[in-house]
Amino acid sequence: MKILKQRVTFKSISGMVLLLLVFSVIISVIGIRGFTDALLNQYSDNAFHTARVAAAVVDGDRIDEYWESGGETETYRAVWDSLSRLCNSSSATFVYVIEPDLTDYAHIRFLFSTINRNSHYTVYDFGYLRETTNDEYRQKYRALYEGTSTQELVIRNRGYIETDAHITAMIPLKNSGGKVVGIICVQQQLDTLMQARNTYLRRVVIAFISLALLVIAGQSLYLHHALLRPLKLISEEATRFSEENLTTGRKLQEIVRSQDEIGQLAASIDHMEEQIQRNVENLTRVTAEKERIGAELSLATRIQYAMMPQTFPAFPGRSELDIYAIMDPAKEVGGDFYDFFLVDNDHLGLVMADVSGKGVPAALFMMASKIILQSCAMLGQYPAEILTNVNQAICSNNKEEMFVTAWVGILELSTGRLTAANAGHEYPVLMPPGGDFALYKDKHGLVIGAMNDAKYREYELQLEPGTKLFLYTDGVPEATDADNRLFGKERMLTALNTARDKAPQEILRTLRAAVDGFVQDAEQFDDLTMLCLEYRGPKEAGR
Amino acid sequence: MLNIQKTLENGKALFALEGRLDTTTAPELEKELRDSIDGVSALTLDFTDLEYISSAGLRVLLAVQKIMNKQGEMKVSHVNETIMEIFEVTGFSDILSIE
Repeated sequence: MKILKQRVTFKSISGMVLLLLVFSVIISVIGIRGFTDALLNQYSDNAFHTARVAAAVVDGDRIDEYWESGGETETYRAVWDSLSRLCNSSSATFVYVIEPDLTDYAHIRFLFSTINRNSHYTVYDFGYLRETTNDEYRQKYRALYEGTSTQELVIRNRGYIETDAHITAMIPLKNSGGKVVGIICVQQQLDTLMQARNTYLRRVVIAFISLALLVIAGQSLYLHHALLRPLKLISEEATRFSEENLTTGRKLQEIVRSQDEIGQLAASIDHMEEQIQRNVENLTRVTAEKERIGAELSLATRIQYAMMPQTFPAFPGRSELDIYAIMDPAKEVGGDFYDFFLVDNDHLGLVMADVSGKGVPAALFMMASKIILQSCAMLGQYPAEILTNVNQAICSNNKEEMFVTAWVGILELSTGRLTAANAGHEYPVLMPPGGDFALYKDKHGLVIGAMNDAKYREYELQLEPGTKLFLYTDGVPEATDADNRLFGKERMLTALNTARDKAPQEILRTLRAAVDGFVQDAEQFDDLTMLCLEYRGPKEAGR
Repeated sequence: MLNIQKTLENGKALFALEGRLDTTTAPELEKELRDSIDGVSALTLDFTDLEYISSAGLRVLLAVQKIMNKQGEMKVSHVNETIMEIFEVTGFSDILSIE
């Protein structure tokens, strides 16, 4: 702000001072020209008048007598006295009569020479001979003698502060025959003119300096009040606002109180502050809302997890099976789910399902599907019947056109008989004892929720002790890496087979590591859900 | 990424899809379809350049199929092997008319 103030003030003031200076110079030149011309006219009129009076005193017919007098005769003295009186009574400093040499006018001889007693000059003696001062005089003497002019004026005032600036008025002295016999010269000092000029210049300079000082003071004061003070206020307010982000009760416009551009700037800043504050308030509210939603989502996630069996080993008392499952949602809550539960002492219900879509809508739909599925199973229904009933229940109120793919199985633990039905879900993967994991291409029905009258068929499998069953959702084979390549079922089966002799938990961990290694840093688009069951055979008597 | 080429003529509509029909692109197709199929009696979805369809994409097909059941017919053409397998696994091959 300090620097700005200095710069703005300096620029604005220096411009005005320069203008003032130019103006002063112009005024001086015009003024000096004007009164120099006027005064010179006045002076020359006076000088010529004196010269003409002198011409009446000196008798041109007696010029030779004067010359011959040697400056001593009565006649000569009388004329000299008259000229001297004339000189002293007029404003002239020097009244003299000369005769130049007529060959080249290079020398002049003084016939009469009188001075004003107030001047510092001394008279030239009678007959004093000296060189003509310069060419200008010489030409003018010649002009007078040759009759080409009747009066001549020499002005010597070059250099405006010259102290002995003067004019010399010259007229010819003629005899009665009209012949030029000498030149009468009257010298008039220009000291009054010079003094007046110097005084004038001094006054202009003083006026310029005073005006300049006045301009500097006035402009600084004006700038300070009209520009810099409001700018400082605005700048301080902007700084304050950027730190506090709160408008004060008092508007900047009221503090600055100006209608000009500065006032408009203040109004704009007021407006900007209000907008920013409004936005900040909005943002705060939205953020709070977002945090609330986030908190509720994480609660929903916990509830969703709690809906799925997660305690492993799941059935510590049952030697017939080992089971492990994981669910890893892509967003906070997912649409995949697995479920397993004992329908009765000898029947294990198994569910793997995937709701279309992601996030909260999918999760809500998943909850409903899961509860209906389990309820039907707990009623002792078999997979095809369960799916048919669930489909009808879901279709009766499915305005969002969502659907669920589901694989449902009921395993009879005492015999290893698996009854299953598939509603549009991925093929299950089976590993017979001592064999490899392979897709089991079962019969497929339509996804749940698509058509009210969809029919489902079930199939039976006999699991030998040592058989492993792997269930999953499409998030596993469709896991995508950064180059948009799919993990695929081949890689899935390969990963499963590398751990085929391990327990279900280890098998799932191996597969999960393989998926992570493939996907690397790419974003997980779909839920990853998998379940592995190992059927170990019926409970032996006595165990 | 999903590119949708739309041709409408005399109550017949052809939608040629290119790219992936998944969670991110499905809403876009759904909007396009819902905006244009009013009064359309024959809708064809050309899957020549469609690489992949996810469950969100299937949902759109199902919704459109239900609308078209009421006002005409809908066909899905040039389905590649990957997508055909998805249709079979999900049972969609039973409800869609695939050419």
